[in-house]
Amino acid sequence: MALLDIRNLCVEFGSTASPFIAVDAVDLTVDQGEVVGIVGESGSGKSVTSLALMGLVDYPGRVTAERMAFDGRDLLRMPDKQRRGLLGKDIAMIFQDPMTSLNPCFTVADQLIETLRVHEGGSRRELRGRALALLKQVEIPDAEHRLDAYPHQLSGGMSQRVMVAMAIACNPRLLIADEPTTALDVTVQAQILDLLLQLQRERGMALMLITHDLSVVAQTVQRVIVMYAGQVVETGSVPDIFNAPQHPYTQALLGALPEHNIGRARLQTIPGVVPGQFDRPRGCLLNPRCAYAVEPCREARPELVAHAHLLKTDSKVRCLFPLNAKGEPTHHPGMRKAEVA
Amino acid sequence: MNGIYEMSPPLLEARNLAKHYGVSQGWFKPRALARALDGVSFTLAPGKTLAVVGESGCGKSTLARQITMLERPSDGELWMDGANITDADRAGLKRVRPLVQMVFQNPYASLNPRKKVGAILGEPLAINTQLNKAQRADQGRAMMARVGLRPEFFGRYPHMFSGGQRQRIAIARALMLEPKVIVADEPVSALDVSIQAQVLNLLMDLQQASGVAYLFISHNLSVVEHIADNVLVMYLGKTVEHGSKQEIFSRPRHPYTRALFASTPRIDPLQRQQKIILQGELPSPLAPPPGCAFNTRCPHAVERCRQEAPPLALFDDRLVACHRVAEL
Repeated sequence: MALLDIRNLCVEFGSTASPFIAVDAVDLTVDQGEVVGIVGESGSGKSVTSLALMGLVDYPGRVTAERMAFDGRDLLRMPDKQRRGLLGKDIAMIFQDPMTSLNPCFTVADQLIETLRVHEGGSRRELRGRALALLKQVEIPDAEHRLDAYPHQLSGGMSQRVMVAMAIACNPRLLIADEPTTALDVTVQAQILDLLLQLQRERGMALMLITHDLSVVAQTVQRVIVMYAGQVVETGSVPDIFNAPQHPYTQALLGALPEHNIGRARLQTIPGVVPGQFDRPRGCLLNPRCAYAVEPCREARPELVAHAHLLKTDSKVRCLFPLNAKGEPTHHPGMRKAEVA
Repeated sequence: MNGIYEMSPPLLEARNLAKHYGVSQGWFKPRALARALDGVSFTLAPGKTLAVVGESGCGKSTLARQITMLERPSDGELWMDGANITDADRAGLKRVRPLVQMVFQNPYASLNPRKKVGAILGEPLAINTQLNKAQRADQGRAMMARVGLRPEFFGRYPHMFSGGQRQRIAIARALMLEPKVIVADEPVSALDVSIQAQVLNLLMDLQQASGVAYLFISHNLSVVEHIADNVLVMYLGKTVEHGSKQEIFSRPRHPYTRALFASTPRIDPLQRQQKIILQGELPSPLAPPPGCAFNTRCPHAVERCRQEAPPLALFDDRLVACHRVAEL
């Protein structure tokens, strides 16, 4: 059984008459000890998905789901008190900007101990000892000294290590990392990713890595979920998705990376921007930006399904005419990949 | 100068540029000296792009502030078009400042939300030229078309645009005075992948059309690889490696450059290099380590590196500052 099992998750903001759909019927499963990556551009709903899971979507946001089960227990239908007992303990989260997610008024020790005290309790001395052990575990140099430091005395990488220490304090079984390295330098990014993966292996916890950086995902996770405009458009294993993407959006996103344009004067681009509240298109949400869109794409909204006859993979894709192994759409076999100027 | 540039006359030249800031350490304590920029030299030719690479705190943005003449360097010289402008007076600065313009990292913060696009684009002209209002508006509209914005958006406010469009406005503003150099400080790091590609294409098209030179500050090595002609790698205010893009990207020589390459995540598993995960972080510029600034994190540091600072010397067609470069 999957550790986390989400079916048909929807998150809406604004009026009920014309709501802004931030997350649109997302299905998501994470197994015990698995590393899953969620990628997408800003506005694709990847962060809101994780906030909904953590119960952090405030009024007037509305979260609905057919099922949002953690370890077999439905988070949406359990009493709030019980849910609070799970969150921060069995499901923990690391946020994007370490500089703003630590409270500037309290020392590192205070903030680490708060988590431990709420969930597990113990004497002050005992808790301080555990906080120190956690800081050592996330490889903070001179940990005794850092316990009494305030967040402004720490560098970005160090603050993110403290955030990681807080998140793993109660031995979570699922760790959600929302853009954990976006605000950091590449050298520090490598350190933090390495630390997260090492902790994940040692503790056998599941890790959900949310990021916009495709290369981080390619290098770190086992299974990828690509989101666009609140929908999951493609999911599959890393080699499948990166070698032979079946969704035109995934293909275009990969094609826009400078890494894939070596020797070319211009980068391939995706015209336009992610649709907002008022310009959500009919039919497939990508159709105004898709290089291959044809008439049916503007009418019918595709479902997320597997096309095993195309590629021998367990990828699922939300496209009426998924791409074949050569990267060509299946509705028109002779059509070459459109050269986008 | 050092054989790594083709022989076109430099548009902009920095010679041993340095900027030291006095930092207060509290009452009654002597002020400490932060050597944010400590002797950096380079030349920039018309129509070329020099990428400055390094971690936060290495002095990239301090360098940008010297080049744009927002601050006076503490030491060294800055030459523009064959004239020394290091100690230029007010009139001299007024003459050269329009030639160097800047594009900032975050287009959500660098545009005044209370001004319309037309006013944003007209402001550089209003300050630096004698053009009247109608002429300024005409030029603003023409510039919007050049950067791929619809001229009808002239009367809109910045909040009505997406991130990529805002960065286009910022680029248009920088181009209004037809500068010879644009300093672009992380111009695409706040943008999504698909938008990033659009903006990079625009920057390259504009360079081809107008021959403007870019000083491109970035920490994203794959973007740098795409756009740069020459690369300058900085560490703690000093140049550690400087040369053409081909040389540096095909054979990085300095251990720090190598570590940067190895830390950069790659999609293609074949391109992933053996991981060199650097320990620790950039040392404080208030108390730089003795000897080579990188010795505290360098996997190859020996006793000599802790005692004497390596000079920047020509090696394998580029400049490198490392004692052990020949053996590594």
